[in-house]
Amino acid sequence: MSHADTRAMPGFRAEPEAIERTGTPPSSGPLIQCRRLSKSYVKGDNLITPLRDLDLDVSAGDFLALMGPSGSGKTTLLNLIAGIDRASGGQLIINGIDLSTLSRGQLADWRTTHVGYVFQLYNLVPVLTAYENVELPLLLHRMSARERHERVRTALELVGIADRHDHYPRQLSGGQEQRVAIARAIVADPMIIVGDEPTGDLDEESARAVMDLMTRLCADLGKTLILVTHDARCAAYAKRTLHLEKGRLIELSGVRREEGASANHASAGGAT
Amino acid sequence: MIAPRFVPVVFKQLWRHRVRSTLTLGGIAIAMFLFVAVQTLQDAVRRATETTASDTTLIVYRENRFCPAASRLPEHYVDRIEKVPGVLSAVPVKILVNNCRASLDVITYRGVPTEDLAGPGGWASRWQFVSGSLEDWLKRSDAALVGESLAARRRFKVGDSFDSSGVTVTVAGIIRSPEPQDQAVAYVHLDFLQQAATKGGGLGVVTQFTVRVTDPARLKETAAAIDAEFQHEADPTATRPEKAFVAQASSDIVEIVRFTRWLGLGCLAAVLALVANAIVLSVHDRIKEHAVLQAIGFRPSLIARLVLSEGTLLGLLGGGVGAGAAVALIRAGAFSLSQEGMSIAVGASWGVLGVGLAVSAGVGVIAGLVPAWLAGRREIASSFRAV
Repeated sequence: MSHADTRAMPGFRAEPEAIERTGTPPSSGPLIQCRRLSKSYVKGDNLITPLRDLDLDVSAGDFLALMGPSGSGKTTLLNLIAGIDRASGGQLIINGIDLSTLSRGQLADWRTTHVGYVFQLYNLVPVLTAYENVELPLLLHRMSARERHERVRTALELVGIADRHDHYPRQLSGGQEQRVAIARAIVADPMIIVGDEPTGDLDEESARAVMDLMTRLCADLGKTLILVTHDARCAAYAKRTLHLEKGRLIELSGVRREEGASANHASAGGAT
Repeated sequence: MIAPRFVPVVFKQLWRHRVRSTLTLGGIAIAMFLFVAVQTLQDAVRRATETTASDTTLIVYRENRFCPAASRLPEHYVDRIEKVPGVLSAVPVKILVNNCRASLDVITYRGVPTEDLAGPGGWASRWQFVSGSLEDWLKRSDAALVGESLAARRRFKVGDSFDSSGVTVTVAGIIRSPEPQDQAVAYVHLDFLQQAATKGGGLGVVTQFTVRVTDPARLKETAAAIDAEFQHEADPTATRPEKAFVAQASSDIVEIVRFTRWLGLGCLAAVLALVANAIVLSVHDRIKEHAVLQAIGFRPSLIARLVLSEGTLLGLLGGGVGAGAAVALIRAGAFSLSQEGMSIAVGASWGVLGVGLAVSAGVGVIAGLVPAWLAGRREIASSFRAV
């Protein structure tokens, strides 16, 4: 499949410019800073603590894979970083902003400009076409219909699904749906892309294509990419892999090489 | 409520569950049809019976008589009535109806002296001729000027002859009048009706006198003075303002129509339940979808407003169909409620349609409030865990 050159497409810029666009001065330190980050909630009579006192720094442009058994806290950590859940303790500072200080509405606005979320089950809105699904995040931005159209078209071209723009999710394969979901995640030009097992529901070939795509897009666009995965082959694409168990950081694997995705996939298994 | 760019999203959500939306819209449409029909009846009764400070018409009837067939007064009373202080004019009228009971389709003849109807400043001066002319009416003794509602209901046109209560007349003109009582009657020559009617006396006997007063503020005093004038006669009179007379003559209808306000409120309750049910089901089906929208950056308040818009749209669409159908049917039917020869014209204005739309939209908003609030306050992470 051939994709458009991301650097040549209008509406998508490399990360430093994107950070400036938010109006917040880029911090000199890491983009994401977690300090003694904890999350607890009550379920029935039990206090569940999926995340305990986690310290983590993630730099801009990093590609981090979160691994661990079920219930280890990886999705909880991802949701905290994505701003769709709130920490019970500790501090989470992203691009200089302490997320705990934001109201629900402010957090929603923050997500609009800072985070693109790719789900395991795609979670496209079934009554909207691929084009309309990708357009959704842009409805929250002040821009003309023409500019919106340009950005959606560009995003669909970047993920190689422009020819299916008028298809509904039910008319697409799993891999195609996930590409639409990726387009939706990048279309508003966020700083961080997060994915919760984005290949978990795909066959091997589609999973590889999606990982190739995400890796390439984030590298070209300078995005920070954080993925939750059970699959070591997917984790092999990451620069760093974080292993979690019972809400604690067990192991932080070193910097990965930055060769092409196919090479990473070939070395699956020994990636971390 | 929401920016225009979100409206297609709301439309598509309703389109997503076509069967559910259609059934809901159908229910709303039926309920709003009934609501608008009831409102129209209420308005018609109010217009016909509510006295205003500018009312100048009195009806002089035979005391203790309530049916046109039973009210018989000597025609020569007219001279004495006109001499009562405060009386501007008095017109003897003979009324003949084909049905004294309450009905939606009554033909009422009103026999009026030719000079009172066609003379200078006569009743015809306030009418507009839809077809035919006053000259045609003057030419024939059996001519009738038919009210627009009656003509529409019975499909009469100029030149047609029709029979009612054994009296055959020929349509000389179709009139449009601002007075509700003129819309569902046929005006004929008084002497013709007195001779042609087999009931209610012959020449020299009339059913009532229609009296205009000089001072609307002294309507009741003038009525009392007229009744005092004839209290010792063999045929004493009972005089009331025209609208009070209509209210009394049509008391059964008025009572029933007033009761229907509960039916109207029941319709609103039905719409409320229908829309609320549809929205609750829809929101319940989309817990995850709303969580996704919030994850994208939709504010909780925006989610709530989108849900609220769905309720409003359902209400507006259903209400538009139902209220529009009711207005169209009532206008086409040209109904009038008649009893004891008095008519209450049932006419639906476009204003009623506006009220129907506003009410259905309002009910849609109210029905969506709780589901919208619930959808907006749900936490994203817990929504993903819940499904």
